[in-house]
Amino acid sequence: MNSAPGFFSETFGKLRSDPLGICGLVIVVMVLLSAIFASYLSPYDPLEVDVYDRLASPSWQHWLGTDQLGRDILSRVLHGGRIALKVSLVAISISLAAGLVLGMVAGFGPRWLDRILVVCFDTMRSFPTIMFALAIVVLTGPSLNTVIGIIIITSIPTYARIVRTQTQAVRDRDYILAERAMGASTARILRHHVLPNIAAPLLILASMDVPAVVGMEAGLSFLGLGVNPPTPSWGAILNDGYSYLRNSPWPIIAGGIPLILVTLGFTFLGESLRDIFDPKLRGKGGDSG
Amino acid sequence: MTGPVLDIRDLSVNYRTEQGMLRALRNVNLQVQPGRIVGIVGESGCGKSTLISAIIRLLAPNAEIAGGSILWKGSDLLTLDAKAMRALRGKEISMVFQDPMSSLNPVLTIGRPSTDVQHRDSRSRQEKRARAIRMLERVDIPNPKEQLDRYPHHLSGGMRQRVAIAMALMTEPGLLIADEPTTALDATLEIQIIHRLQKLQRDFDCSILFISHHLGVIAELCEEVVVMYAGEVVESGPMRDVFSTPQHPYTRKLLECDPARIAEVSRHLPVISGQLPDLVDLPAGCVFCERCNQAIEKCRTERPIAGNGSHNAACHLVNS
Amino acid sequence: MNALLTVNDLQVRYPLDGGLLPWTGRNRPRFVDVVHGVSLSIRRGETLAVVGESGSGKTTVAMALCGLAPVRGGEILLDGVKVSAGKDGYLRPDRRRMALMLQDPSGSLSPRMTVRKLLAEPYRIHPGHSNDPERSALNLLSMVGLGAEFADRYPHQLSGGQARRVSVARALALKPDLLIADEPTAGLDVSIQGEVLNLLSDLQQEMGLGILIITHNLNIVRHVADQMAIMYLGRFLEQGASGRIIANPRHPYTGALLAANPSADPEAPHQRIELQGESPGLLNRPPGCEFHPRCPRMQPDCQAAFPTSEGTPGEQTWKCFHPLPGAVKNP
Repeated sequence: MNSAPGFFSETFGKLRSDPLGICGLVIVVMVLLSAIFASYLSPYDPLEVDVYDRLASPSWQHWLGTDQLGRDILSRVLHGGRIALKVSLVAISISLAAGLVLGMVAGFGPRWLDRILVVCFDTMRSFPTIMFALAIVVLTGPSLNTVIGIIIITSIPTYARIVRTQTQAVRDRDYILAERAMGASTARILRHHVLPNIAAPLLILASMDVPAVVGMEAGLSFLGLGVNPPTPSWGAILNDGYSYLRNSPWPIIAGGIPLILVTLGFTFLGESLRDIFDPKLRGKGGDSG
Repeated sequence: MTGPVLDIRDLSVNYRTEQGMLRALRNVNLQVQPGRIVGIVGESGCGKSTLISAIIRLLAPNAEIAGGSILWKGSDLLTLDAKAMRALRGKEISMVFQDPMSSLNPVLTIGRPSTDVQHRDSRSRQEKRARAIRMLERVDIPNPKEQLDRYPHHLSGGMRQRVAIAMALMTEPGLLIADEPTTALDATLEIQIIHRLQKLQRDFDCSILFISHHLGVIAELCEEVVVMYAGEVVESGPMRDVFSTPQHPYTRKLLECDPARIAEVSRHLPVISGQLPDLVDLPAGCVFCERCNQAIEKCRTERPIAGNGSHNAACHLVNS
Repeated sequence: MNALLTVNDLQVRYPLDGGLLPWTGRNRPRFVDVVHGVSLSIRRGETLAVVGESGSGKTTVAMALCGLAPVRGGEILLDGVKVSAGKDGYLRPDRRRMALMLQDPSGSLSPRMTVRKLLAEPYRIHPGHSNDPERSALNLLSMVGLGAEFADRYPHQLSGGQARRVSVARALALKPDLLIADEPTAGLDVSIQGEVLNLLSDLQQEMGLGILIITHNLNIVRHVADQMAIMYLGRFLEQGASGRIIANPRHPYTGALLAANPSADPEAPHQRIELQGESPGLLNRPPGCEFHPRCPRMQPDCQAAFPTSEGTPGEQTWKCFHPLPGAVKNP
């Protein structure tokens, strides 16, 4: 999928002029790097218990203090980032891929197929996430993969719906007609002419979905439906912190900060990218005559 | 009143773009006398949209007035504040656009904007409605009373355009600016609009500034014509004179290219070879020089200025 | 068979969804006949122009021939061989022999593809015509007079005329026998309209192309078309040699169209027949001759039945009970 000439350099150039966008980019990069290099950056083993130093306030030995089992919160948060990263990457890419296929088929294919698919999407979307999660967990038991699975199933209909609308918008455009007139197969049209023209807004959507997915995982883990202790997901950290809130506020704060940062960072970046893409699609600027 | 209602003097407008300063209009002079129909002829890139936007003071944010003045009945529009300009727009200076749907709100029935546009009058609702109905009759809309309650998409393109004209004239403006109002319509509808405009102009005695790239329509409707190319006025004068004895090489070639004027049927139609100059990086000398087959040395170095006289052109060959 | 393309009594009917129309009557029409029996023939090297107002169905004729609109009746012959239709009613022509150029030049070019890739598309869709699609793409560019520097541009970076030429190049990539052009000069300045038309004319001579032009611009029809057909509400009201028809129109609608054409020559006599009203639309077909409500020559018998064809087939035929007098003797 080729994009405009010097795509990244052009986009990056425009991004430079938007302070919020730069802010978002910096945060996102920081979060990503810290997640990838969590093992190297963590001063302690996140699972290491130190009963004598429980619920300590932040100090030079423990920048974010310790939790109820004396584990270093900073290390747990860093490793939690890794989990958040894994969950969002896996869940979003699978949902996006499946949503793309289903959405394009619904938007471009025969009417009857579209109707069936739409009914499926709407049915899936009408399940309240938490109840759905509870039901699944009862069957399979709580685990990270369960969380990922739940997120995927609840996200696919949303992506598929959006892809469907975008595909429908593009379907009747002249350039698609021209390709059909040349005898191009539906697969070819979808792959080369529909997909590249709907991809940009989708990628932005997906990137802005990261905080939502991370939040979902945190929420599910908070409720005990997700990762098993002692795995340090942000939701688990929050859960622990909640129980010991009266003793020390630091675990909650420490567990909440990364969530806030991720949300802000991806949102700023995503919105900035969206602003960049919209006017560009409109062509030449400062036109006269 | 004596003197022109609209007097544009030496107007220059630039756009700030990524590539640099785009000089969209350069030293444009244009006059509209009271009760006259003036046509602006030009192709894409000639600056006519910028000119209109400048007159009604709705230029894009990256535009700047680089010089000149736009005198409306003596006062310079460029010095008016936003409030004064708003008072003028729609009351004294009205507009009709190419796409009638852009002036008609699709979720309102025709009646709403037709009465709203009279908001400065202190008449009663019924009176405004009655006035709207009379206006619709004047543009030959059948059953105007029922049409007031219909939505724009119920009407055909030609009818929508006539409604737009009726609304524009409802406030009895001094000047009606029509920006390519017939370009999107078929020839048969085009004639209907032209005839209505002629009739209404006589009835209201307003002036009309009519922009089009369709030479035939200009010839049919306009008494005077201004020819624009790449941001400059290259020729202006009475329509008959300009179209029968064009002075500027561009006007001449433009008329030659019009397939309707080519008497002998030919498979090979004339064109004006070459392209518009880069408005950011303008060449010195005459802006049409590169595409002109009569260019002399002076054309490359010195920018021509329009001559005096009612029919004049900005061309060294004519003025020296 | 002499003719490259023969169309006999083409009919296109679209089903109607209830909800989309501002139709409040109880008897909603279930379908609309957009093309109501159209016949024509084009020879190699010949150009036929279909002329009409918007809503006449002329674009649908082009779409139907290319398999983009459902055909309800009639037959299409390419070099005497019938073009078959699928079960859904859409024609399946040999896409290598028939090329379509759409009205919006840059809109018909996929926005995220470079010119090079766009011109290579026909070769990729129909393998076997070129060993090196991208090299062939460059050849196509020079065929339409565009330099190689255009190969890496995107559609939004092309001017109207340049985009139009790219469309021409793409249409002619596989050396088709028939080119269908929908409003090839729409949106182009007068000074460059000639470029596209001259290009088509030259290529037509070189390749022996048959060309079907859809247009509402009568001025160019005179110059580029050998034959013309005037369409109204889905039917041809007059057709034949364009020179004959323009000099000597027989159908009042043709006369009105020709007269409605404003001329830039201030000295030309103004014989305006201003047509009253507008096209009633495909859903409100008047009885009898469908043009009668707007016709200045209408008589009572015009409402009774649709006129049959009169005149000399191949030269000039019209469908009117009270045609314009044939004033000028044909040379």
